[in-house]
Amino acid sequence: MEEQRKKAPVNNSAAKKKAPRKKGFNYMKKKYVIHGFSVISLMLMVPVFFITAVLLVVVPRSDISYIEKRKLAEFPEFSFDKYFSGEYTAKVTEFYDDTVPDRDNFKTMGYNFKSIFGIHTEEEVKIIGKPVSVVNDKKKDDKKNSESSKKSDAKADNKTTSKSETKPEDTSSAETSEETGNNKIDKEHDEYIEASNGLIVVKHEGHYRGLELFGGGSGETYAQALKNFHDDLGDGVKIYSLSASTASQYYLPPAYEQYSVDQKETMDEISQLYSGAATYVDVISALQNHVNEDIYLRTDHHWSPLGAYYAAQEFAKAAGVPFKDISTYKKVKVTDNFSGTLAAWSEDANLSNDTEEFSYYEPANNEKCTTNYYTTSLEDCGTGNFFNQVGDVEHSAYLTFMGGDEVVVKVNTDVKNGRKLLIVKDSYGNALPGYLFGSFEQICVVDMRYFQRNLVQYAKDEGITDMLFAMTTFSAVGGNAENLENLRTQ
Amino acid sequence: MVFSSLFFVYFFLAITLAAYFICKTTKSKNIVLVIASLVFYAWGEPIWVGLLIFSAFLNWKSALLIQKFKNTKAATVTAGLAITIDLAFLIVFKYSGFIVENINALLHTSIPVPQITMPIGISFFTFQAISYILDVLWETVPAQKKYGRFLLYLSLFPQLIAGPIVRYSVIEKEITDRRSTPVDISEGAMRAIIGISKKVIIANNLYVIVEQFFGTDISNLSFLGTWYGVIVYSLYVYFDFSGYSDIAIGLGRMFGFHFNENFKYPFICKTISEFWQRWHISLSSFFRDYLFYAPIFGRPRKYFNLFLVWFCTGMWHGASWNFIFWGLYFGIFIFIETLIGKKRMKKWNKVLTHIYSKFIIVIGFGIFYFTDLSQLGKFFTNISGVSMITNGNAFGDLMTWNSLLNNIFLIAFAIIVSMPVLDKIKYFFFKWGNNTVYAVGKIGATLICCSLLIICSILMVDNTNNPFLYFRF
Repeated sequence: MEEQRKKAPVNNSAAKKKAPRKKGFNYMKKKYVIHGFSVISLMLMVPVFFITAVLLVVVPRSDISYIEKRKLAEFPEFSFDKYFSGEYTAKVTEFYDDTVPDRDNFKTMGYNFKSIFGIHTEEEVKIIGKPVSVVNDKKKDDKKNSESSKKSDAKADNKTTSKSETKPEDTSSAETSEETGNNKIDKEHDEYIEASNGLIVVKHEGHYRGLELFGGGSGETYAQALKNFHDDLGDGVKIYSLSASTASQYYLPPAYEQYSVDQKETMDEISQLYSGAATYVDVISALQNHVNEDIYLRTDHHWSPLGAYYAAQEFAKAAGVPFKDISTYKKVKVTDNFSGTLAAWSEDANLSNDTEEFSYYEPANNEKCTTNYYTTSLEDCGTGNFFNQVGDVEHSAYLTFMGGDEVVVKVNTDVKNGRKLLIVKDSYGNALPGYLFGSFEQICVVDMRYFQRNLVQYAKDEGITDMLFAMTTFSAVGGNAENLENLRTQ
Repeated sequence: MVFSSLFFVYFFLAITLAAYFICKTTKSKNIVLVIASLVFYAWGEPIWVGLLIFSAFLNWKSALLIQKFKNTKAATVTAGLAITIDLAFLIVFKYSGFIVENINALLHTSIPVPQITMPIGISFFTFQAISYILDVLWETVPAQKKYGRFLLYLSLFPQLIAGPIVRYSVIEKEITDRRSTPVDISEGAMRAIIGISKKVIIANNLYVIVEQFFGTDISNLSFLGTWYGVIVYSLYVYFDFSGYSDIAIGLGRMFGFHFNENFKYPFICKTISEFWQRWHISLSSFFRDYLFYAPIFGRPRKYFNLFLVWFCTGMWHGASWNFIFWGLYFGIFIFIETLIGKKRMKKWNKVLTHIYSKFIIVIGFGIFYFTDLSQLGKFFTNISGVSMITNGNAFGDLMTWNSLLNNIFLIAFAIIVSMPVLDKIKYFFFKWGNNTVYAVGKIGATLICCSLLIICSILMVDNTNNPFLYFRF
């Protein structure tokens, strides 16, 4: 054993002998050259390193990322508890790394660099995340649907928890106005993450488009909620269900259809479950007739204002209210360079760089309508514009409608027909009310994710005649549907 | 603190380098390094930094006693005690939960499972301490008389939390007397930048693919998808870990320390034995030197010791059965190769030996990845093609093809860089060529490294949390 120990190699580089000199090699000269060029090398590297280090400290730091649609980390407050738990130092690091000056531009540069990793063909497709095949195997479909629902439900639980931690009483109007711009961005981001079941970026006719893949779901919770609302409100309030598909319903390349459940079929099946309690507004079929128009944003998970117009038209038909033709609206361009959530989430350089126009349609009677904003405790924050341009429009143009996901907004129009509409919506519903200014006397808009009062009581208090549940198919089958029952009972 | 973060590179390292090079004497430089190392460790482990300091004290004092009692039983007893305490810390912090879970499962008991957070890097600094104690006992190195110097050895931040496992003998002289020449600083900086690039440019982006394929249930993953996922994962582990080692070696060199290599292009191996002479060399040499020859019932027993080494190698990687299987899996192939003999294996067709070794290694990384044994079972049914029959899984799928197409250059680049191509280029410019060729090579390498640093910095903006894989060990 002792001998073997002695034999055991000692990894001591210091003990290694110098390599023998090469024959005919001017070693001394080479040594000076090595030294000299190492100094030159350092003269190049050291300034790059230290100048960057200094710049990262002295240049003002970013506080919002419009690309990621979130408020960046804040410098933490010190406490011994936080320090010893490791939270303080972790948050300091997070602050430093997260708030890099000009973060959004550096992120875009990062996307561009990553785009060189692969081959880009004429009809290229890039999958982000892990889509699950939903081929026509009923057994697999059922299993997947149940998993998808469970996943969504779990996320909804988390969301509900965080929401319930917010005390409506604590929200002063000042805080509410301060939240505008930051928290709204967060909300939009959260919603997208929740809905995501994998993403595909496709190139079609020279432009890139992000497509969310739909995992399907039973929608039983959603259907039951509609029936319960009908029971509570009675026949005096007509209930409508408008579930908008995402763009993948229309633009998914045939080879990739195996990764996405048919949203029309899903919604048709769900409509059977609430039959008699609510009117099914089949916007998926309505939009099918306009697929050659820009009905969906390519870089964002929302439909375009034009897509929302056709959906509103379909709803107006179902509700039997007058509806103004698109030609009567004033088209207002917000930006030519919109790059939305799908570009951010996919981190795909091609999609991010292939920006698009974002324009909305202002109704002719907009000036005659008044829009009021309310807090979670239904305090009136005063009158404001329905159409706003918030923050960095190149990344937040969809916040144009009501400034984003407001809790409660009420629009009084110049129409006098006694019809009062309550829209219960996710962010898809934000683009709808503007097209109904000529159809209803009053339009109340409630965000199903953030409303904290009893919705049945609210509808009664406002004298609502029509109630529209307007949301994406992802919300109808996912965790957001769980919230509907909370809205009814809370 | 993660090496591949802006905070480490441009804040912590910048301040440490500035403070270090302001100091003139080795003593003051050592003080800077000890303070920096303790801050570095405390940044992630504000409480367990005390454990590190205590462990250093225990082993430093034990070594002095071993030297004092040399050639007596007292020295052996002291060494045994010190190693027992070192291993006890490791077992308590790393394996207690695993042990209790298995006792509960085996005996149907319900002993509460200890919820102890494992101090980062405990596996690395514990093994460094054990190697030091044994080296002093075997009189390979003299005991360090000054606690501060020993604390520097054990806590030196470049290698503190993810290795390599540096032997005391390697840096013994450099702790007391060293110089950072411009050549050291320049080449060390380049090495560190290459390490960061391996992690940020290659490993992080390979991991996106791994997550896409293995991140969730793999029941329905196709045959080709499983192979693709595990090959990419093998590359990822190599670039992640060897990247970290490069950073450690590079930073060490900048501070005047010359650590041994931890990776020598493991994927060019022809046998599994050769693979382990090229992969995580500091760990395999540790087990070879300190455990393989250990007497079992009075004398070393070749095959028993071999499996003991591979059991421990697996166990070292994590408190989970898959790691133990992983270690023993390699142990079996090394045992078979030992039986066949090196000479016979050398006569085998080179192409076949390459295919054989890569096949075993890649499957091994599958075992390494899946800590959930049910997923590991699915991995085997998928990769063997059995799930195509039993579960109707596809042979190939669009996702695999799509991922390959979208990452073809990244994967191809990773494969090329995992071969000794860079070494050949370096040899041409820095060893073989004349002074002009050297000058061109040096300036070219500097510019490339500056560009890589800028690219990595941009990519690090997007990496809010990307710990190295070996942090968990």
